Amino acid sequence: MTPVNATQIQLAIPGSPEFLRLARLAAADAGSRIGMTFEDLEDLRIAVDELGFTITGGRPDCTLNLVFTLRDQAIEVEGTCVDEGGPFAPSELARTIVAAVVDEYQLEVADGQRRFRLLKRVPEG
Amino acid sequence: MTTAPDEPLARFFEYRETKDRRLRDELISEHLGLAISLARRFAGRGEAVDDLEQIATLGLLKAVERFEPERGLAFSTFATPTISGEIKRHFRDRSWSVRVPRALQELGLRLTATVGDLTNELGRSPTVAEIAARIEVDPEAVLEAMEANRAFATQSLDAQLPGDDRTLGDTIGDEESGLDQVEHEMVVNDLLATLPEREQTILRLRFFDGLTQTEIATRVGISQMHVSRLLARSLDALRQNLDGDEEPA
Repeated sequence: MTPVNATQIQLAIPGSPEFLRLARLAAADAGSRIGMTFEDLEDLRIAVDELGFTITGGRPDCTLNLVFTLRDQAIEVEGTCVDEGGPFAPSELARTIVAAVVDEYQLEVADGQRRFRLLKRVPEG
Repeated sequence: MTTAPDEPLARFFEYRETKDRRLRDELISEHLGLAISLARRFAGRGEAVDDLEQIATLGLLKAVERFEPERGLAFSTFATPTISGEIKRHFRDRSWSVRVPRALQELGLRLTATVGDLTNELGRSPTVAEIAARIEVDPEAVLEAMEANRAFATQSLDAQLPGDDRTLGDTIGDEESGLDQVEHEMVVNDLLATLPEREQTILRLRFFDGLTQTEIATRVGISQMHVSRLLARSLDALRQNLDGDEEPA
C-alpha cells in the first residue's frame, strides 16, 4: 500500500437522510485507500451515517459539510452543519453505536455549528 | 441503557464450532430483551412496536451468526450496533427511492458470498482490493455494491409477495417465540418451497447457516462450481418471484 499522509477529501451534501448515501460511499472509498478491511469499512460507514444524521437531524434545509482526512494508519472525519438553535441532544443509543465502531469521537455545538469528529485506526496486523 | 448480561463466551465458541440450532436458539432467546429494548427506543416514529421488535430480532439473529468470540468483546457490545443498524436501515431506506439496477443487485450478492469466502480463507476480514480481485471488478464497483446491498435488502423486505397481500417484512416473526419463529415465518420459506429440494437445502446452508460454497459442496456431495451455479439460478428465480416486473439490466 502506498503511504498516504494527511490527504483531505471534502464533501458537502444536503441534510436529508437519502443523501447520506454519498457520505457512506465517500467514507468507504476513503477508508479503502488506507487499507481498511471490509468490516472496518462497514463500521466507518455506520459511524459517518449515524453522526451525520445526528447533527443534521435529517433536515433537508441544512448542508452537511464533511472532511475526510487520510493519515498513514487512520482516518479522521469531521462533519459540521449550521446550528439553528433548537435542542441538540444526541441519543444514548447513537452514542453507543458510534462508540462501538470507532476509536474516538466527539459531538459538540460551538460557534453556531453542530460538529462531530471521529477517528478510526487501521488495526495492526 | 439496558443490556443483556454478558454471555459467557464459551457458549459462543461452542456455537461457532457446532452451529447447533438448539444452542443458537437459546443464545437468541437469552438476549431477546436487548433486542426488544433497542426496538422500543425507536417507537413512536410511525412503525408498530411489534414490527420493530421483529426487525430487532432479525438483527439479533445476524449478531449471533456474525459474533466472533475470539475478539474478546462482550456479545452485548457487538450486538447493540448490529441490531440498531438493522432498525435504522429499516427506517432510512424506506425513504430512499433509488432503484438499484439488476446488475448491481447481482454484484451485491456476489459481494456477500465473496466476503464470506475470503473471510474463511484469510482468517480475517478482506480488504476491498482483495474482494475486487476475487470478483474481478474494479474496487469502485465493490464500494457501490456495498451500498447497493443496503437497498437490496430493504427492497426485498418491502416487496409484495406473489399471491399474497403481505410483504416480505410482514412475514418476519408474526409472534415472538425466538429464532425459529423469525426464520420459519420468513417469506423466503414460502418462496423456497417453489424450488427443487436440493436447491432449497443449498440456499439454506449458504444464507441461513452461513456455510461457504466449499463447505456446502462437501456436505451435499457436488462440486463447488455446481453449488455456485445452483445458488445463482435459485437466487435469480427468487428475485423474479419477488420483483417480476423488472427487466434484466
